[in-house]
Amino acid sequence: MFGFILGIVLYLLPQRFTAANVPKLQECTQESFSAKLQAGRMSFIYFGRQVSPAIALFLEELERSAEALEDYGISVAKVNCSKADVEKYCASEKVLKKSYLFRGSEVLRSFDIDTVFDVNAIVSHVLFTVLFNEVRSVQIPAELLSIERLAKGKVDVVFGHVQALGLPEHRALMEAAFVYGTKYQFVLTTGGPVLKHLGVEDPSSLQAGLWFLHCKDVSRVSDRCTHTVMRKPLTTLNLHTFLQMMDVPLLTEDAADPAEVDVVYSHLHVPVLFLFAQPHTLALDRTTAESLAWRLRGEVGVVLIHRGGTDATATQKYNAAYKLPEEGATLKYITFNSVEDAVKLFREKTLPEGNRDDDEDEDEWAVLDVLDDEVAESVYRDRGLTLDLEPVAELTGDTFNGAVARRGLTAVLFYVKWDAVSMAVLQSFIEVAEALKDVLDVVLASVDCGEWTDVCSSQQISSYPKVLMYRPGELAQPYRGMLGTDSLHRFILLSHTGNPVLLSCPSEAHTFLQGGVGERCPELRPVRVLGLFGAGQDPGISVFKDAVRALRGEAHFGLFAGGQAEKWAEELSVQLPALLVSRWPGVRSQAHAIRLSSVQELLTLIRRLLLEPFPELTVDNLPWYLEQKKPLLLLFAHDGGAEKADALLEIRGLLEKGQLDAYLPCWIHMGRTPAGRSVLETYLGFLPQLPALVLSQLSTGGEVFHFPTERPLLEGTVLQWLHSVESGMEKSTGVVTDGTWTPAVPFYDFLSIMDEEMPGYASQRDPKTKTTSTKGPEEQDPGSPVNSPSPHRHSEL
Amino acid sequence: GRTNNVVLRHLPPGLFLTLFTEALHPQAPNSTRRHDYCVLGAGPAGLQMGHFLAKSHRDYVILERNSGPGSFFNFYPRHRKLISINKIYTGRQNREFSLRHDWNSLLSDRPDLLFKRISRDFYPDADAYPRYLAMYVKELDLKVRYGVDIGSVRASDPGGSSGRSYVLTDQYGSQYSCGVLLVSTGLWVPQQVPFVGSDLVEGYESISVDPEEYRNQAVLILGKGNSAFETAQSIMGRASRVHLYSPNPVRLAWQTHYVGDLRAVNNEVLDTYQLKSLDGLVEGRLEDIAIVRREGGRRKAKRGQLYLTLTELLNEGARNGSSNVSAQSLPGFHSDNFSLRQPYNRVIRCLGFHFNFSIFDSSACPPRGGGARGRLPGLTAWYEGRGTPNLFVLGAAAHSRDYRRSAGGFIHGFRYTVRAVHKVLEQRYHSSAWPATRLPTSQLLSWILKRVNEASGPYQMFSVLGDIILLHGSHCDYLEEFPIQALPQLVALSGHKVPKRGLLILVMQYGLNLNNTLGPGRAESEWTRAWKSNFLHPVLYYYDALPTDWDMHNRPTGWPLPRPKAVHHMVEDFLTEWDQPISHSQPLRRFLEHCFHTDLRAFFAESCFRFSLTSRNPPLFCRQGYLKRQGIVGNGKLRQHARDAGLMPGHQDSDDLIEDTTVPEYFMGARLLVGSLFFKFSNN
Repeated sequence: MFGFILGIVLYLLPQRFTAANVPKLQECTQESFSAKLQAGRMSFIYFGRQVSPAIALFLEELERSAEALEDYGISVAKVNCSKADVEKYCASEKVLKKSYLFRGSEVLRSFDIDTVFDVNAIVSHVLFTVLFNEVRSVQIPAELLSIERLAKGKVDVVFGHVQALGLPEHRALMEAAFVYGTKYQFVLTTGGPVLKHLGVEDPSSLQAGLWFLHCKDVSRVSDRCTHTVMRKPLTTLNLHTFLQMMDVPLLTEDAADPAEVDVVYSHLHVPVLFLFAQPHTLALDRTTAESLAWRLRGEVGVVLIHRGGTDATATQKYNAAYKLPEEGATLKYITFNSVEDAVKLFREKTLPEGNRDDDEDEDEWAVLDVLDDEVAESVYRDRGLTLDLEPVAELTGDTFNGAVARRGLTAVLFYVKWDAVSMAVLQSFIEVAEALKDVLDVVLASVDCGEWTDVCSSQQISSYPKVLMYRPGELAQPYRGMLGTDSLHRFILLSHTGNPVLLSCPSEAHTFLQGGVGERCPELRPVRVLGLFGAGQDPGISVFKDAVRALRGEAHFGLFAGGQAEKWAEELSVQLPALLVSRWPGVRSQAHAIRLSSVQELLTLIRRLLLEPFPELTVDNLPWYLEQKKPLLLLFAHDGGAEKADALLEIRGLLEKGQLDAYLPCWIHMGRTPAGRSVLETYLGFLPQLPALVLSQLSTGGEVFHFPTERPLLEGTVLQWLHSVESGMEKSTGVVTDGTWTPAVPFYDFLSIMDEEMPGYASQRDPKTKTTSTKGPEEQDPGSPVNSPSPHRHSEL
Repeated sequence: GRTNNVVLRHLPPGLFLTLFTEALHPQAPNSTRRHDYCVLGAGPAGLQMGHFLAKSHRDYVILERNSGPGSFFNFYPRHRKLISINKIYTGRQNREFSLRHDWNSLLSDRPDLLFKRISRDFYPDADAYPRYLAMYVKELDLKVRYGVDIGSVRASDPGGSSGRSYVLTDQYGSQYSCGVLLVSTGLWVPQQVPFVGSDLVEGYESISVDPEEYRNQAVLILGKGNSAFETAQSIMGRASRVHLYSPNPVRLAWQTHYVGDLRAVNNEVLDTYQLKSLDGLVEGRLEDIAIVRREGGRRKAKRGQLYLTLTELLNEGARNGSSNVSAQSLPGFHSDNFSLRQPYNRVIRCLGFHFNFSIFDSSACPPRGGGARGRLPGLTAWYEGRGTPNLFVLGAAAHSRDYRRSAGGFIHGFRYTVRAVHKVLEQRYHSSAWPATRLPTSQLLSWILKRVNEASGPYQMFSVLGDIILLHGSHCDYLEEFPIQALPQLVALSGHKVPKRGLLILVMQYGLNLNNTLGPGRAESEWTRAWKSNFLHPVLYYYDALPTDWDMHNRPTGWPLPRPKAVHHMVEDFLTEWDQPISHSQPLRRFLEHCFHTDLRAFFAESCFRFSLTSRNPPLFCRQGYLKRQGIVGNGKLRQHARDAGLMPGHQDSDDLIEDTTVPEYFMGARLLVGSLFFKFSNN
């Protein structure tokens, strides 16, 4: 889409900096405004009324941006609402604070003028919006890796870092993206772990940076893309030069005299280094030159000069020459003793501050003292705080047995203090205890397995942390849910209610399903499962009861049996025995006839029924659904808005028609589950408009497809899209990584350090040099040989 | 009475015992009893083994020639103070941890069967020990036959499937046929060195313990171990001079970390020596000396005094003790300032004890071990006599395996090796594999930290017993306290296969000890320099395949194990608490990550949620926790910490707080579409 612009900008680029200052900021009347919109071009328009000093400043910047944005085919204008009352835009309360980017009459985005505060911010934000689909933003290494993976063998990646959007560096990057966007994949980050991934030790101190990832020539997916760091400041001109350098051959060769060679580098205003090769060592010299060229890539042009045997010039005396780009600079001859020398020459010239390499060695392992485990680090950050264990009863070897035998329910957390995960869970556990303080017959207790090791081994605790539920006269029930405040709280409350609730008449059963009977905590909105048995189905009842005991805490259970139940079932035309499952008050229940064979079978059935056919995926429930191993038809939606509700209904419709059996239809609420945002960004490399529908073949092909935003999200279009995905007609927009998680940081190799510091200390003994003495070396202290027996030499110690 | 008693006790045991036990001995002569296991000796090692055999319901008997357990302690140490510490207060409640500082108790499942019930002294009185053992026997109901004095042990090798057994004969000629013989007879035969005049020397076993008897006497003690110093310390207030003579300079336990060397509790003579208060230490070979009696010319009435000289200075007659000793025979004649030129009133031998090889028939006699001057039997790394299959040696006599290197000669050490031997027996004779705890690999780190912070076996039996971790990939099998010298035989001894991914070994070790024990730089605190730790610290060895005997034999000098694929030292800790996140836990995790070749970090459920949706192979922690529905949710504050640290992505415009409590529209919509109360699903 930008191909046509590319030519224009390239042509304009050198002139921009010298162009005469002609005012480019038009003021629109109502008519010229509508004409502008109809022309279908991009335009950036500010709507204002009064002019305060602050606004006056903004208008100056807006005027400057007009000139810059014109190069990109974007016109800039202002509308004075007091003169031309453009409805909709002038009507807004915030009329003084907003400007809009239009494509034709469509608003691409509105900007607060605090965001677009100066010319750099205006240009960068406007271009960023225009390039929304081309420039991807990332924060974590996985996102970058996913982009790399897609780019391998296809396109090189330009990865830029700016500290904040709207800074001059951001503008430079966006301008480059505009020009080179079709040639390279641009990626932007504003910081985060991804920088560490690229080897930046202290990302917060890095103002801006640019990396060129050579992915195009990578043929095997398992290989990494090598990268070149841009060492100069991130300005438009430097970036332009740098990217041009990436496009020229790494090394050129010539046989002419260096003073006469005309190489592409000379036009790029970079230093040129000439290396002189001897005919008989050409291959070796070429290898050296290549490695040097890699080291200096992007900064210096490297030329390998073949020296003929008859040359009598300086090329015999020296092994290299260089020419700096400055006007009038002459060719200088030099002899390098090593590749290092050559690198140093240019580094010192281009980076005056740069002795950074020397410090790196010292700090090399200091990085190892930074905790990179998120749980360990977050617990460590709280090390100054003392946890208030008061709401949790701390059990000891003496009190444990008595405590777990008491009436009611005792939930015990087994933990060890050195385990960060344990300590994180302990915090949640305390919160649950606090919340359940007033609930009768429920006690939360803890055992420190670092102290009471025999209590923990007697309870067969072999992993930490562990929560067991104790009730008098029963085996301890392990808690198998999420170790978090909400899940634990819910589990304890649900498992503490009468299970199952015994119901005696149809109206009670009905109320039970609607959330009325035996409900201690209606705010939990549990799924309600009603076992319905006819007269004389007692064996089935006991199977049901056993299953319910095992499922305590996972749902709310009721039991309705006998003649009344039989009658009621008949009315509902349900065959007995049956399970009725109700998810929401006021919503229909589902009825399932059951065959009662074993508790285990019934358990499996109930667990399956507890799953929703079209779930909202949350951090808490995802594992339940991933077990189905189906491709996810995943709708990302944010709060409110008719679009989301409509989209949900469309998919629900397909589901009920049985057309989604091969998929798991599900959705993520971006507000409740903010992690969904990163998921979506990782899938697509950018954040599209919501709601966004994605097909993620998580456990099948690993490919991700994005339902095109421009198509209406309707039953028919979705189905059609799914068909064309299946038949391979759709292009995947991303992949799910299947890389394994290898260690993030290399281990500290003591063996190699021993070998270096104390050679032989860690080496196997050489059997040949071993002494033949059968006496163990431990018999004698090597430092104090036994004294000789001579009477004249008896000595005191 | 006192002296009599001593003499009586040192009559040959059989004689002494017949007086008391004949009536109690119901067994007819020449009968044969058969047992799967015979334990010889009811000392601490024998009783410890008895407990394990009883616990696993084996057919066993403990044979003891005396009338009660631990009779050695009725007499030794002569000055009645045990130097094994009885540390009752550790500030901790962890029983396993407490055993690190309780050197006297035996192992059992009873939390109260500890030595502290008998004595609360830090250095307890020796009488307390047999009392403790008697309590141990009684409360665990161990099968001990007292008054059975085994005088001969021979092997019976009928061939065929029954294999080799041992036949023991007691003082009445009764025989015991034993499938497996566990020799825990201890060390009680005084070690003697032959030299001219050794008959003029008194032994530690028979000296008077009454200091008054040494009043104003000059005493020469042969030996510089704890018994020598214990004797010197007891008499130094009365004797005029106390000199200690032996080949090696004194070795201080606090310098060598070996509890068999001189303990500070016995070392007062070092003080009086260094402050020139007439006591002293001298080095020289014992085999070359002679002790001669020289009649003092003028004072005929007084008994002749004893001189130390050298055999080579004596004439033929003097060597045989037949003629008087001339002045030329004494070193002082040749070297006028010879240290030991003055005569002594007494010379006392304190040279330790050796294993009683005499009861073993040549068919059943383990060879003399290489270490400890041949005083101890030679054993395999799993404590079976070399060349005597099915005969194991336990207790102090088994110290040949780790003589001067670890604590295997002492109760606080061999209680663990006995347990290890019992596991070997269970596997070999009952096919019951070495007990193993199966752990998900994501749990291994915290399990190792648990062991490192509480386990007493590897702590006491440093460099000898180590935990073995078999790496199966997503899970591990954790075997405790295996005798690591037997590593090449791991498969046969433990009944576990070595997985393809290899194994880890966790050992506690002292360090290089190159520094002055109390000098500056003695302790290392930087974890990257952990391999230079001097004090006891955990070390992990990683092998991708089981080391062979050859590897073991040629292991680096001073190492307990061959050079591994990778090694990790956990830096020594002043408090012996290896639980800190930066110095202990993270470096260990990275080492484990290297061995497993996988990321072993923990993640909050939210991160696992992201990884599970965007990666087909989420990190192990997520697979073993979150995806099994047991994610670590963490609270908002912790997750915010993780975000601040840049370890979790931040959320822009996060509206976490919005709690949507309305029924989802699509459910409501559905209800409107379907009018009836129930919507029927078919159920297959």
